[in-house]
Amino acid sequence: MPAFFRRRFRWKNGRVVVDLPDDEQDMLRHVLPQLRELVMGETDPALRRLSPPARPDDADAEAFYRQMVTDELLKSRLEAIEVVEEGIGGTTLDDAGVDSWMHSLNALRLVLGERLDVDVIGHDVLHELEPDDDRVPIVALYEWLGWLLEQLIEAAMNGFDD
Amino acid sequence: MTAPLTTSDVDTHDDVALDHPWKVIVWDDPINLMSYVTFVFRKVFGYSKDKAEQLMMQVHVEGRAVVSSGNREKAELDVFRLHEHGLWATLEQDQ
Repeated sequence: MPAFFRRRFRWKNGRVVVDLPDDEQDMLRHVLPQLRELVMGETDPALRRLSPPARPDDADAEAFYRQMVTDELLKSRLEAIEVVEEGIGGTTLDDAGVDSWMHSLNALRLVLGERLDVDVIGHDVLHELEPDDDRVPIVALYEWLGWLLEQLIEAAMNGFDD
Repeated sequence: MTAPLTTSDVDTHDDVALDHPWKVIVWDDPINLMSYVTFVFRKVFGYSKDKAEQLMMQVHVEGRAVVSSGNREKAELDVFRLHEHGLWATLEQDQ
């Protein structure tokens, strides 16, 4: 079957099967180290999207919360990236594996969405860019990640009772 | 006249003494997919499809929704899990 028609995530025997074409595997191998570098840093504006304030009304409480969770959240993100990297070539995901893939794919989307200023300009503008606009490849990547995520959601939904 | 002890005299920082004083709020954002937000509500809170979809729509239409409540520790854990999933969540004390 041509890769275009192949489902990237399938539900089988209570688990999610990951089956990515080679070029999509390469793309993930290319972007995940960049996500790792970004989450390990402290200055990238996209971190606001990945770790938004929990207590915007109270600076002291927010500082306390940050102190409590920052390491945990970083650890969780790095572990999730690692799980995806290990399974890019093909794997079967249990519940925790599904979480890792969702967290990582969505984190990549959030970072790109932040880069594209989606918060400010919305999505419509992105669909009307001139072909030579620098943002075109980023939009393509952003949309592909959304499409992958939708397929993962659809497959993993089979795990719910209703 | 002696004023009775009112709730305002209770130390509200002692949240263990109060019933469900903290609430977890999810805010609308243009990046997260609607299907994803619904999925996360089902996964994190065990909500039914209907309840998760209704909360997702409330976030989308009204800009925010209270998605869970409980003592402070539970609310903080819920916010943490929502942040892990990339949702924009905050907690606040119920007034």
